[in-house]
Amino acid sequence: MMIPTIELNGLEVQLGGRTILHGLTGILKSRAIGLLGPNGAGKSTLINTLLGFHSPSKGSVRVLGLDSHTNGQALRPLVGYMPENDAFISKMSGVRFVRYMAEISGLPPAQAMERAHEAFVYVGLGEARYRPVGTYSLGMKQLAKLAQAIAHGPKVLILDEPTNGMDPPARKRLIELIREIREVSDICLLLSSHLLRDVEETCDEVLILRNGQIASICNLVEERRANRKFLELETIGAEQSFTSTLEGLGCECAVFSNGRIKVVMPDKVEIREVFKVALDNGVQIRRMNHRRDSLEDIFLNAMEQTGAVDGHI
Amino acid sequence: MAIYKRRYVPYTGSLTPEWARFFVTTRYAFAELFKSRFFVLLLILSLVPILLFAGYIFIANNKTLQLLLPTGPADMFSVESKFFTLIMIVQTQIAFLLNCWVGPVLIAGDLTNGALPLFLSRPFKRSDYVLGKLAVLVLLLSAITWVPCLLLFSLQAGLAGGGWMWSHLWMVVPILLCSAIWILTLSFISLAVSAWVKLRIVATGVIFIAFFIPAGLGEMFNSVMDTYWGRLLNFSEMFRLILAKAFREQSGILGSTRWNEIPIPAAWGVLISLCLLSLVILNARLRAREVVRG
Repeated sequence: MMIPTIELNGLEVQLGGRTILHGLTGILKSRAIGLLGPNGAGKSTLINTLLGFHSPSKGSVRVLGLDSHTNGQALRPLVGYMPENDAFISKMSGVRFVRYMAEISGLPPAQAMERAHEAFVYVGLGEARYRPVGTYSLGMKQLAKLAQAIAHGPKVLILDEPTNGMDPPARKRLIELIREIREVSDICLLLSSHLLRDVEETCDEVLILRNGQIASICNLVEERRANRKFLELETIGAEQSFTSTLEGLGCECAVFSNGRIKVVMPDKVEIREVFKVALDNGVQIRRMNHRRDSLEDIFLNAMEQTGAVDGHI
Repeated sequence: MAIYKRRYVPYTGSLTPEWARFFVTTRYAFAELFKSRFFVLLLILSLVPILLFAGYIFIANNKTLQLLLPTGPADMFSVESKFFTLIMIVQTQIAFLLNCWVGPVLIAGDLTNGALPLFLSRPFKRSDYVLGKLAVLVLLLSAITWVPCLLLFSLQAGLAGGGWMWSHLWMVVPILLCSAIWILTLSFISLAVSAWVKLRIVATGVIFIAFFIPAGLGEMFNSVMDTYWGRLLNFSEMFRLILAKAFREQSGILGSTRWNEIPIPAAWGVLISLCLLSLVILNARLRAREVVRG
């Protein structure tokens, strides 16, 4: 049986007297997991708990089958972590900084030096490796952080907002690197970002958090494979009866403000039937957009829902 | 991850033992320290008194040289416990100054740009981190206190003959014990300050304040309350008290006339409490993530 990448068992984390994560439960099996959520949703707290920086007040979290709290010492050699905020030693040269971190991870000095050079060239900072990290631009610092995260060859790579402060070409390059790392090795990836595009381009599964609760766990691969028909409607006069009738036909409906309705249609239902239901219910359809499902839809849908969701959508 | 391929390849080589990894931080800290010419100069200067003491020992054991010197009676050159107490006083004061220069940068450099989470997300505990940084100061301060002191002891033993060594062998214990408590006190205090204050100049000032302000307050307390217990706040004096008792020193070389007022266990207690307090501060400060209460 395959070990889940991340397993949340009623995880609750309290910090400073406040409950930040409220009993998260779920299993994430994909090798590339995206962590989404608005500011204050608990993404960084979850990452810090995975790393063993915070202790759960209730429940547990396992990474590759290892409990982050009780088995942290066994887990940490497997982890490469790229923090969101500045994290470097400013006076050290880039390559020396990465070598230092690799040695802390347990690599012998000679191998650490070799891997540091390789990691720097790999992330595209080969020319700048002898400069002090403090003199790097924001984008270069992000790449240096990625280099230190991969130099020791981790099994799990945790990236917290990796494209922060990067210009579009640098962002594209970093996303390509992350995808390549994922594809050419058996490394597991956890990427936290507020940029849906970053997650969509690199991840197979997303965990969406809201107010410290799981808003949704969604397998993007399955979603893409399902390729469901998707309607976006702008309506006037739509009542509960309209959506109820559509749901009676087998559609899934999400109602938003200003009469906006998103409808996921099963194969057997044709668009003309939607018009017929609208006519029967006296609803004006002012605009209709036919499109396939996207992460943005999944995210917005999760944000609109109330209460915590355990499981997949 | 070969450069020519520019592809990511996981690491499959050997790993160093976990227990030895704390020494990586020590090694890197020493490498950074020795980049500073001022530090090298300071270190050399701190060993100059040792050369002078060695010269004294040489003269004390060389009757011919003593006769050539235009000084008084030859028995002024005696190498006894008083002499080693003096060495300890001089070298521990120099250790204090060196510690004020080196200590403040050890942890602050990592905290300034948030590097601590990078250490602690690896198979590297907070205790390893503190141990690694502590080892820098312990090794450095040892190199200018008990190590040269024992070398001088050996020099004297070698020049004076076996009889002197056996009759003075007891002094090895106070040399090691007094150096140990002073080095640990200085190291823990400067690490705790380094974990709180990021600017070197301010941190150095805070270390001085930590030693001199409580001493002043203690004297005020003594004057107001007409007691001597306020001297417990004079940490340097508590160390000198331990030193005097350990070296059985009654000659007044340590500059105080009221040595018997404070019990020795109280002096030990003050210095050990300082170490524990510093550890509590380090424990509170060295966190991968700060938690804001409220």
